[in-house]
Amino acid sequence: MTVLRLEQVSKQYGDKIAVREVGFEVKAGEIFGLLGANGAGKTTTMRMALGLIYPDSGRILWKGGTHRDKLRQWMGYLPEERGLYPKVKVSEQLLYFAELRGVSRRQAARDMNDWLERFGALEYRNRRVEELSKGNQQKIQFIAAVIHRPDILILDEAFSGLDPVNVELLKGEVKRLRDEGKSILFSSHRMDQVEELCENICILHRSNTVLKGNLREIKESFPREQAILETERAISGLDRIPGVKSVEGDGRSYRIRLERLSTAQDVLRTALEQSEIRRFEIIEPTLNEIFIRMAGEGHE
Amino acid sequence: MNEIRTVIKFTFLSRLRARSFAVMTIIFALILSVMINLPAILSHFSSHAPIPVGVVDRPAGIAAKLDEYFAQEGGDSSVRIVILKDLGTPEANERQVRRSMSEGTIKGVMEFGEPDASGFPAVVYKAEDTSDSALKAKLQGALQSIKMQQTVRELGLDPGQLARLNAPVAWSTVQLNASGDRGKSESEMAAASVLVYALLFLLYVGVIGFGNMVATEITSEKNTRVMEVLISSVPPLRQMFGKIIGICLVGLVQILIIVAVALANLQLPHNRGALANLDLGQLKISLILYFLVFYVGGYLIYATLFAAVGSLVSRTEDVGQATMPITFLIVAAFMIAMFGLQHPNAPFVVVMSFIPLFSPLIMFLRIGMSEPPFWEVALSIVFLFVSIGGIGWIAAKIYRTGVLMYGKRPTLKELRKAMKAYKV
Repeated sequence: MTVLRLEQVSKQYGDKIAVREVGFEVKAGEIFGLLGANGAGKTTTMRMALGLIYPDSGRILWKGGTHRDKLRQWMGYLPEERGLYPKVKVSEQLLYFAELRGVSRRQAARDMNDWLERFGALEYRNRRVEELSKGNQQKIQFIAAVIHRPDILILDEAFSGLDPVNVELLKGEVKRLRDEGKSILFSSHRMDQVEELCENICILHRSNTVLKGNLREIKESFPREQAILETERAISGLDRIPGVKSVEGDGRSYRIRLERLSTAQDVLRTALEQSEIRRFEIIEPTLNEIFIRMAGEGHE
Repeated sequence: MNEIRTVIKFTFLSRLRARSFAVMTIIFALILSVMINLPAILSHFSSHAPIPVGVVDRPAGIAAKLDEYFAQEGGDSSVRIVILKDLGTPEANERQVRRSMSEGTIKGVMEFGEPDASGFPAVVYKAEDTSDSALKAKLQGALQSIKMQQTVRELGLDPGQLARLNAPVAWSTVQLNASGDRGKSESEMAAASVLVYALLFLLYVGVIGFGNMVATEITSEKNTRVMEVLISSVPPLRQMFGKIIGICLVGLVQILIIVAVALANLQLPHNRGALANLDLGQLKISLILYFLVFYVGGYLIYATLFAAVGSLVSRTEDVGQATMPITFLIVAAFMIAMFGLQHPNAPFVVVMSFIPLFSPLIMFLRIGMSEPPFWEVALSIVFLFVSIGGIGWIAAKIYRTGVLMYGKRPTLKELRKAMKAYKV
C-alpha cells in the first residue's frame, strides 16, 4: 500500500528552482532512500513531504488524500540538525512534543519510558538536554520524532554524530519500525547505510531526479567494470591487456578497471600464467560509486 | 485549540521555572523595596538635632529676637541660636567665633554689618558648609519676619493690622471634567500622579521586557532548530499566539508579585505616614481595570511585532539589533507619556492617545490624570484591539514564512518573494 506519494512535484523560490518534477512513492513497511549532494533539493522535498510548504505544481498524497490536519499526527520528523530545547528537561520536552501532536500525556509518558529504556537512557529523564552527550541527544531527538507513533517518518541524517555501537542500536530501531509497517523516508550521506536499509532510492542532483528505482536493479543496470585479483606472486603486464583501463595494486592484490566484462577472462588468463590465484571476483559498483558518478559531476 | 493550550502551558511553566525569572523578580523586588523605604532609611541616618548657629549680639537685640523666633518652633525646629556676646572690637569677636567653631558649639555664624537704606543691617552668614540651602532659607525667613515686625512697629501699625498684612491668600484647586461636574480633587490628583507614574513605568517595563522575551524565545527556537519540529506539529499561527499568551501570563504573574511586594512594604509601620497623604482609597477600581486592559492591549500589539521580527532572525545575537526599531517606538511612547503627566490635555497628547502603538501608555495616562469622556476611551480601546488583529494577521504571515528561512536576515523584497513561494 502506498502511504506517501509525490507526483511530479516542483518548487521554485523566486527565480531559483529548488525541486523539478520529483516523483516517488513510499509503501507501508518500506524505507525509501532520498539521496543528493548538499543543495540538491532534499530539504525542500522533505519539507513538502512533511506538508510544511506546498508545491508549485504536482501533488502529494498522504494515505491517498491531499493535505489535511491529520498529517500532524501521522508525520514524524527528525531534522538534520538537533532540534531540542537545550535548557529543558528531557522528559518535559518529549511529553510536550507528544502532546502537541495530540497524544494524551499518560500515553506519551508510557511510550517515552519504553523508548528511553530501549536506548538505555532512562537515567537522563530528568536531565537537561545541554548536559547530555551528542550521541544521547541524538537518541532523544529520535524519540521526539517517534513518540507519537507516526505512520510516516522522515529521517534526515538520523545517524550523524553517533558512535558505531549507537548507530547499530538506532539502525535496529529503524528496521523494527519498518517491520511494524511504518513508511520511512530516509536521507543520508552514508551510502553504506542506505545500501543496508533501503529497497528503493531516488538520487537528486541540482533539483532534478537523476536516478530512481529499486536499489538492486539500479546496481545491476550499472556495468560491472571492476575485478579484484589476489595472487601468490606479483603479476606483470596486466595493464598491457587490451580493454584494461587501469590497475591499482601492491603486487599481491589488484583492483582492475575494465572497459568490458569480457576482458575479465583475459585478465584471469594472464594471471594464471604467472601465479596461483587466491581470489578473483568481478564486483558490482557500490552505491557510493554510483552516487559520485550521478551526482558528483559538475559538483562545486 | 488543544495545541494552543499546550503551547501556552509549556511556555508559561518553562519560563516560570527558569532561573532568570526568579533572579529578575528578586532584583525587581529588592530595588522596589529600597526605593519605597528610602525616605525612612535616609531619615534614620540624618540626625534630628537642631543645627547651632551663632549670632554676634551687635547691634544688640536682633540675636535675642532670632532666638525667640526659633524657640517658638519648639522641638521641631532645625535651628538653635547661640548668642555670642559682643566683645567690643571686631577682632575680639572674630577670635570668639573661631574658638566656638573649632569647639563645635556652633556650625555657622551670622554677623551684622551697617544698616542699609531700609534701616536693617546687612547680614553675612559664615560656615564651613554653606551648601545647606534649607538652613539658609530658614535663617533668611526668620530675619525677614523680624525685619517686618520692626518696620511695622516703626510705622505704628497695631497687631491686628499686622495679622491682616501677613495673612496668605486662600488657594485651592478643583479640577472640572468636560460636562462641568467636579472632577478629581487635589488629593486625588496627587494620588493619581504618583500611581499613574508607577503604573506607566510598570506598563513600559513590562511591554519592553516581555515583548523582547517573545522575540528572543522565537529566535532561539529557530537557532536550536526546535522550530523545525514545532512547525511540523502545530500550525504556526497557534504556535505564535500560544507563545505570546504564555509569556503574557508570565508577565502578569511577575507584575502581581511586584505589586504585592510594594503593598507589603507600604504596610510597614515607618511607611504608614507616607501612605496617609497618598490615600489609596481615592484610587478607583476602574483605574486598575484600565491598567489591565491597556497592559494586555499594549503587550499584545508589541508582542506580535516582536514575534514577527524574531521569526526573521536566525541567531540569538542578532535579536537585539533587529528589534531596535520596535524598542524605539515604546521608548517614544514613554517619553510622550512623561510629558503628558504634566500636560494631560495638551492637543498632542490627546491625538497620541488614539494612535494604537502609543495609546496603551497615553490613553491610560489621560484616564489617570484628567477626565477624558468615555467615548474617547472606548474609541481608543477599539482602535487598539482592531490594530492588534491587523498587526497579528500580518505578523502571523511573516512568522509563517520567517521560521523556515535561515541565514542572513531577509530584506523586505526577499521576504515578499518567500511569502509568495510559501503561499502564505
